[in-house]
Amino acid sequence: MRNGGQDHLAVNSAASTSAGPPLGRTQSICPRCSAVLDAELLVRDGRVVLSRECPDHGEFEAVVYGDADRYLEIQRFNKPGESPRERQTEVAHGCPRDCGICPEHAQHTCLGIIEVNTACNLDCPICFADSGTGPQEHGYSLSLEQVESMLDAFVRAEGEPEAVQLSGGEPSIHPEILEILAAAKRRDIPLVMLNTNGIRLARDPRFAPALAQLRVHVYLQFDGFEEATQLAMRGRSLTAEKLQALDRCAEAGVSVSLAAAVERGVNEHEVGAIIGFGIEHPAVTGVFFQPVTHSGRFRLDSDPLDKLTNSDVIVAIAEQLPEWFRADDFVPVPCCSPSCRSATFALYDGEDVVPLTRLVDVERYLDYVTNRAIPDLDVREALEGLWSAKAAGGSARVAERLECVACATAIPAELREVAARGFMVVVQDFQDPYTLDIGKLRKCCVSEITPDGRLIPFCAYNSVGYREQVRVEMSRATDGNGREGRR
Amino acid sequence: MSATGRPDAVALPAVGELLAGGDVKACCAAVYEHPAVRWLLGGELHPGGEATTRRALELIGVRPGERLLDVASGIGTSALLAAREYGCLVAGVEYGEGAVVDAQRAADAAGLCDRVGFIVGDAGALPFEDGQFEAVLCECSLCTFQDKPRAIAEIRRVLQPNGRLALSDVVVDRPLPPKLDGALATVACIGKALSRDGYEDLLAGAGLRPTAIESRDEDAAALAERINDRLRGARVLGLDRMAESPVAIEEAIELVRAARWAIAHGALGYAIFAATR
Repeated sequence: MRNGGQDHLAVNSAASTSAGPPLGRTQSICPRCSAVLDAELLVRDGRVVLSRECPDHGEFEAVVYGDADRYLEIQRFNKPGESPRERQTEVAHGCPRDCGICPEHAQHTCLGIIEVNTACNLDCPICFADSGTGPQEHGYSLSLEQVESMLDAFVRAEGEPEAVQLSGGEPSIHPEILEILAAAKRRDIPLVMLNTNGIRLARDPRFAPALAQLRVHVYLQFDGFEEATQLAMRGRSLTAEKLQALDRCAEAGVSVSLAAAVERGVNEHEVGAIIGFGIEHPAVTGVFFQPVTHSGRFRLDSDPLDKLTNSDVIVAIAEQLPEWFRADDFVPVPCCSPSCRSATFALYDGEDVVPLTRLVDVERYLDYVTNRAIPDLDVREALEGLWSAKAAGGSARVAERLECVACATAIPAELREVAARGFMVVVQDFQDPYTLDIGKLRKCCVSEITPDGRLIPFCAYNSVGYREQVRVEMSRATDGNGREGRR
Repeated sequence: MSATGRPDAVALPAVGELLAGGDVKACCAAVYEHPAVRWLLGGELHPGGEATTRRALELIGVRPGERLLDVASGIGTSALLAAREYGCLVAGVEYGEGAVVDAQRAADAAGLCDRVGFIVGDAGALPFEDGQFEAVLCECSLCTFQDKPRAIAEIRRVLQPNGRLALSDVVVDRPLPPKLDGALATVACIGKALSRDGYEDLLAGAGLRPTAIESRDEDAAALAERINDRLRGARVLGLDRMAESPVAIEEAIELVRAARWAIAHGALGYAIFAATR
């Protein structure tokens, strides 16, 4: 299916009406029992709402995109899916019960994630991975050998994977994390990221230089500056540690993306300040905003009909930094479903910020529906590489691709390095059991790599029970306290 | 990126020097065929781009097979559109020799050279005989002509009886800020623009009967914003340091800022005028 199950969206475009016919039909799950249910995408008060009814648990609704007109408008950025080299599972029970990747999945994996442990040095109230400092039910810690075999599975599936992220738990406290990162680098994966809260970076002065030597990119949890934000999201104030971690990265030459979880009523007012800080800090090459995922151990009060979505974050950025960004600077990433991830690159000279989208007609290149002729296919390819889950600001591949785009727009060679330093701003909404749209899921390009070598689309992993299954299996294989057990 | 690919040509043209020579026509032609200017305008040399061109052609109801003259045809974008989408036989006349070469090349590439041709010429002395055309298109260029009555008289001369003119241009209905009075403003189609009434009087004075006026002020605002973004982009990238005249980008940014203010306050706008001989 070319559009990952959302061909129907072109049919009905009466998005402005608040009680019209459904925008489209899809499937979802019951957030209580995970039963697969037929679902409708409805427009209500200008927003897109996913609605379904479980015979046992009743009706469930959740907002999946805050701007229905924009939701319809961006469907043209839906690039036809591309297959992986290898699929790991057969179709047996139907989507999303056969993940790993099964033949019905419409997209290969741009970004692979390996969660090396479940232990953490924080107890965040919003943790979707259900990690923490205390004794872990079904806790595990992967061995280096296990991670090596998972990396090999990823390489078999993708051929030449471009990006992998080591995550957890808190991967920096894994005793063999440096060996694990080196193992990823040995497989010639250009972008190896460490997803960390930064506490070890702040406390251990040898850690950042070790990451620099391995040329690892740090994906640093960074939700904002206000004490109230940090208490709500992380359980304690972390500003001093975050700043020290960043300074150590700058000294050592480690590039960093700030990753902010954003929750309505908590820190949506801080998105502009986070960008403004990041663009000035010498280590920071981009900011990723992720509306909080309401799965795992999610402890804030939340109403699925009041959930923050990508369009809300984009509007907040444009409102808080009107001199720098407009909402239409954020162009959807075309390989996943267009409402999953939007991005822009900002050029900065120390005074003024100009998004690349003002200098290059990115929308024209990444429009797969209304397009007439693409003037330059090399430029489209470069833009597809930039507007992708495999991109992080400051990485060598991103710099190359920005240079390619700069070249095509007549920017002289001496100045292309400025363009190559484009600061990446990404808004990424992951799905949870309330918002899961199975049509969208089929085009997911971010996969959790499991110890048995499956690649499970990230939103399926978190929503329909795979995470729990893997934890049970892994805790059987280890002693449950983070040490490898007998196998 | 139709007007790109020449990385050596990013410096903005030295408008002051060109104008000091006293030849506004040569200056305008040189500016608009300059790759840096084309890049700043994003390949769209007048507000609204192709949408405005289509609207102008529809207001005068051009038909397949009709002979259309495009006065100040630039790199040929509108002439090619009229041939491709409306089936007109199009002649484009343009003062800038480089632009004529590029336009002819574009016509060849589009396989339209049997229906479109370009010629170097002056709007004040059109190189055509009387009554040669059923229709004339003149987009965003009359305002830069010094002798406007003469240009309109020339257009009337080459139109056949009942021939139609679509004129789109910058309009100035109220006094402009002083910044919009300089050399760069003249070239940017602002300095010497007329009011809506001024254009109507000009047309009537030449014996052309106005049949429609359509405002396109939003397109003007969008174009000004885009030029502003691209100038800021050029500055962020450091193009001003490479320019022959380092003040050129700052001066242009100031001009665009004043233009955006004037558009927002109803002093400056854009409109299509349709008239019949």
